[in-house]
Amino acid sequence: MSVTDNPQSSGARSAFSGFSLKREAERYALVLAWLALFCVFGAMLPETFLKWRTISSMLGSQAVLVVLALAILVPLTSGDFDLSAASALVFGAMFVAVSDVNWGWGVGWSVVVVLVIGALIGAVNAFFVLYFRIHSLIVTLGLGTFLNGMTLWISDSRTVAGVSMDLVEVVVIQRLFGVPLAFYYGLAVALIMWWALEYTIAGRKLLFVGRGREVARLNGISVDRVRAMSFVSSGVLSVLAGVLYAGMTGSADPTSGLSLLLPAFAAAFLGATAIYPGRFNPIGTLVGVYFLITGITGLTMLGADAFVQSLFYGGALIVAVSLSQLVRKRQPQNFG
Amino acid sequence: MMTTQKLTLTAAALMAAPALLPSSAVADAMSDALAVIEAHREIPTFEAQGAPFDAKACMADKSVFSIPVSMAIPFNVELQKAMKRAAADVGFTYTTWENQGASDTWIQGVNQAIAQGYDLVDVAGGLNPEMLGPQLREASEAGLKVTTSHLYDESQEQADFVDGSAKVDFRGAGELLAAWAFVETEGKPNVLIIGSDDVLPTGPFVEQIQKSLSEYCPDCKQEYLNVPVNEWATRIQSGTQSALLSDPGLNYILPIYDSMTQFVTPALRIAGATDVGMASFNGTPFVLDMVREGTVQMNIGESLGWAGYAAVDAQMRTLCGLEVPETLGIPLLVFDAENVETAGVPADFDSGYGDTHLAGFRKLWGLED
Repeated sequence: MSVTDNPQSSGARSAFSGFSLKREAERYALVLAWLALFCVFGAMLPETFLKWRTISSMLGSQAVLVVLALAILVPLTSGDFDLSAASALVFGAMFVAVSDVNWGWGVGWSVVVVLVIGALIGAVNAFFVLYFRIHSLIVTLGLGTFLNGMTLWISDSRTVAGVSMDLVEVVVIQRLFGVPLAFYYGLAVALIMWWALEYTIAGRKLLFVGRGREVARLNGISVDRVRAMSFVSSGVLSVLAGVLYAGMTGSADPTSGLSLLLPAFAAAFLGATAIYPGRFNPIGTLVGVYFLITGITGLTMLGADAFVQSLFYGGALIVAVSLSQLVRKRQPQNFG
Repeated sequence: MMTTQKLTLTAAALMAAPALLPSSAVADAMSDALAVIEAHREIPTFEAQGAPFDAKACMADKSVFSIPVSMAIPFNVELQKAMKRAAADVGFTYTTWENQGASDTWIQGVNQAIAQGYDLVDVAGGLNPEMLGPQLREASEAGLKVTTSHLYDESQEQADFVDGSAKVDFRGAGELLAAWAFVETEGKPNVLIIGSDDVLPTGPFVEQIQKSLSEYCPDCKQEYLNVPVNEWATRIQSGTQSALLSDPGLNYILPIYDSMTQFVTPALRIAGATDVGMASFNGTPFVLDMVREGTVQMNIGESLGWAGYAAVDAQMRTLCGLEVPETLGIPLLVFDAENVETAGVPADFDSGYGDTHLAGFRKLWGLED
């Protein structure tokens, strides 16, 4: 099984082949839906929802999910799944907390070391997937479970609080235009990734490998090297999300971050319906995350029960992807 | 928000000059709330809840098999350690079924208890016996007694196939949290309560907070946010932020289980609501550390050593055919900036509560005079 896009739905190349209203509507449908959602809640809750404080809170609170979704997006683009991403996030957060609080390394060294560990996690995934030719789903599921065990081991199954306020300061307390810095880190990662995919040779190679490994190989691209680098990037970005997670909460607990995996995949798939429809892309993912949190925030402010939020989350994903497919005349997406 | 020092001053002022307060109703409510808090500040002394009995003789050939909800949760590890210590003190066989929270391993545990001829199977630390209904009924039919430890509130009825339960005073904790929020906000609470309806005792716990707050202050605002346990990481932060943004007057947050506090803290920071106070229940060490650092204002602790001995007391009474008392008298202790260092630096699960329960239970069980 591989994650490949239908070449006919290509965005980047065909973007230059003339203006098409239908294609532009497809590209920006999610953005328009997001704006519509914002306007609806703004009209219903003018006193609270339209405040800058609300907007900055929504922007500042989703950085961890944005970075995690961007992490899994890299191997998704090259046709691989990384199910160990959330486990790497939790391990990264816990490693920073334990090494800073219990081992006294200081938060700077903790972050540097954990980013190296993230690269190693990606390298291990790549080694087993590429050398033994095992499907990425199996390897990353296995390594993720292994990392969960490591997290419980180094933390003694406990939540570790008291992470250096220096980290908390640069993640969530310091602000630019009233928005916590965490938002800008997520934005920066998305913009860098967009630039790399659109304007660098390595990024274009990644896209080619995702479209068709055999064709890419016959064109002289080292497919294994590209796939290996996508796993390493995913590992580094996942633990970076973990560092942000530790900075957000000032603590790390051994399990709760695992629940971010499915929302991250939801955001990646939702993002694949926007900007470059039919292709996993960072800006679309960013829009997907903030579309979902806008809905959740509005519903919570209206006093909706917890189950309504789940209905919105799951429903929005299915409706968006289905509408996108209708516009694409139900062409198969080959996610398998 | 009121500091501990201010709280003490308020207590003194209330005693010295009640006429200075705006109305006697508010003064009464304030003195009631302060009395509730003060009653939980003292290091507890042991009070026997049932009749003394000869545990050694009764338990001589008995064995207990305990299935915790998950041994990956430190709370369960510590509770099991205490139960093991109590069993060793009396001298009977006590086995903990090591598992990581998967339902198939719980089922396997009950089967093991039946197959190996244990006398009692206990589900501990939040594991709802209804989830193992068919297996526990089978155990019951095979002649094993069935107990629960640290699950039900004292006001809740146990499942019909359960023979005895070591219940917890969740309502008492609710009353204490409400009193704390009322006093800390100087009688003007506007409270967000965060709970998880999928956890069995949440119902009476939240109900008591709401009832007590309404009694102290019928016109004050309170809101309840329900977040299922497996969504804590994704929903508590956004839910708290939304509540803070839609009601800027919100001045206190009561996440009823203290591991929730780690997700409330970033919401307060992002929403710029750092003057909003927070109090919780459970006495988990990392949250006690947060009390010491000033991120959380108060945490209600319960000694897990004490709870473990009380749970074994209930198991032994069930096996010995004695009545299990409805309340096991596990005390609730207020930890705030004033006394949190007594819980250890860094905090642990069992410090700060004294050890009168050890001699108390030994005497109750006829192990010493």
